[in-house]
Amino acid sequence: MQKLYSNKWVILSLVAPGLLTFIFAILAPICLSFYYGLTDFSGLGNATYVGLENYKNLMSDAAFWTALRNSILLAFGFILIQHPLAIITAAILDKLQGKAEGFFRCVYFIPNVISVAIIAYLWKFIYNPNFGLLNNILKIFGYNKEVNWLGSGMAIWSVLVVLIWHGFGWGMLIYYTGIKNIDPVLYEAAAIDGANTRTVFMKITLPLMKPVIQVNVTLAIIAALKQMETVYLLTNGGPGNETQFLANYLYKQAFSSFKYGYGNAISVVFIVICLVITVALNKMFQEKEVK
Amino acid sequence: MEFVGKKRKNQTLGNVFKITCLSFVAIIQIFPLVWLFDFSLASSNELFTNGLLIIPKKIQWGNYVKAFVDGNFLLYLKNSLLINTLAVIIVLIISIMAAFAITRMSWKLSPVVRNILLLGMMIPIHATILPNYQIYNKLGLTDTIWALLIPYVAFSLPQGVFLTCSFMDSIPRELEEAALIDGCNIYRMLAVIITPLMKSSIATVSIMTFLNNWNEFMMASTYLSSNTWKTLPFSVLEFTGEYSSNYAVQFAVMALTALPAVLIYVLLNKHITKGVAAGAVKG
Repeated sequence: MQKLYSNKWVILSLVAPGLLTFIFAILAPICLSFYYGLTDFSGLGNATYVGLENYKNLMSDAAFWTALRNSILLAFGFILIQHPLAIITAAILDKLQGKAEGFFRCVYFIPNVISVAIIAYLWKFIYNPNFGLLNNILKIFGYNKEVNWLGSGMAIWSVLVVLIWHGFGWGMLIYYTGIKNIDPVLYEAAAIDGANTRTVFMKITLPLMKPVIQVNVTLAIIAALKQMETVYLLTNGGPGNETQFLANYLYKQAFSSFKYGYGNAISVVFIVICLVITVALNKMFQEKEVK
Repeated sequence: MEFVGKKRKNQTLGNVFKITCLSFVAIIQIFPLVWLFDFSLASSNELFTNGLLIIPKKIQWGNYVKAFVDGNFLLYLKNSLLINTLAVIIVLIISIMAAFAITRMSWKLSPVVRNILLLGMMIPIHATILPNYQIYNKLGLTDTIWALLIPYVAFSLPQGVFLTCSFMDSIPRELEEAALIDGCNIYRMLAVIITPLMKSSIATVSIMTFLNNWNEFMMASTYLSSNTWKTLPFSVLEFTGEYSSNYAVQFAVMALTALPAVLIYVLLNKHITKGVAAGAVKG
């Protein structure tokens, strides 16, 4: 039996497909990115080795820092606006019984199953100065100026609203599952002690949700870093580079500005940032748990 | 008696408050979609209104006909279904094989391989677009189904392996050991004994993989050039250029393209919720 379970060839044949997929679709491209990042390749013709030139340029590239700042803004938007709302909604939903519970849960999640392509264009229409929904809502409240939501100064906030809106259902669902997993005996005990709703939420729900919140916060920060599709269709980083994000910037550099080498250098930095932040967040939360 | 009555009154009041809060959030989440559907039924001239919703003079089903025909809806829907189903099946097979080797079999490198396979979760998918474009170009894979299948499988695999591993840990070993003693080989045992036991894991992995890839269009628009393998988001992407002034038809194509996913979701609501919850909490 033990012999069967340690047969090297069987093991190899079982993990080979997974490893080959990883090597071909993830590892090889990263190595290639590293190589192209050291060249001035334009996408066509020959590539000349330029050393660390691309990386030096990147450090003094204002758009790169704007992209990072936007990721941080988005992460804060997720953590300070989307998640608190999601937790509170989940807590209220949990107290609701019967059909209404399922109905609301279903409604909240629907934007999540709709393609980003549709969501981005839909919001482009909502922000449209001529027939957009948002300006029409403002008109109802007596504000008649036509706001250019995707214009300079305003655009990044408009982008954040879309992203916070779109991801809300997902976050809500995860918190909802977390709250459902809390032992009802605890609530009963609190009710006997005469604790009110707020105390129960602050003293029981929130502390017990800590691991779920930690996972969600980690995911939110990483999602903020990786943001691309919505921005690509909504503003493509514009006006200027005001709403730029790393993924969108590297894509634009390679396919619109034909700086393929530079784009790859950004890819490499992008991967390193994601790895470092994921590892750091995991370490941080793990250490806290040990304490 | 009086006390009970007061409590009950408080409770209904509390319920009204709760429902109001939840409805407010629901309106914010769903109203843009209602607006989208409403505008898709109007004619383009009617869109420039001051109200929130339009009551069209005549419902313009023609918008949908145009969206359906000119948006290549059927072809792209078929491609989306085919590519996503294939990706799900491949992810499931590779995940179950790898998870079995990692959790059950005894070999030194097992934790290393596990971590390598999970590493993909940390790699931003868009950082591989540029080099993959070169690779697929050189290998002649651009504009084929492989240009989508390979990255879709590769980036769903880490989560698949992770979930499958944690589910596999929870199923008993007795059955498989009995089968092996009876002379069954490992591959057959995996297919006949283990896989049927993994139903809930298979459902979760399928749902997560499907949700991950169904809406993807960055890679698709980079690696594909002809219509042959384009997926559903392209109905919207191509349309906005073609009908840039006919807004009502654009609304229609968006509503139409959103429909399959929303329908599937509403029908399978319970399973999808369970799957996402299981996947997200464990992932």
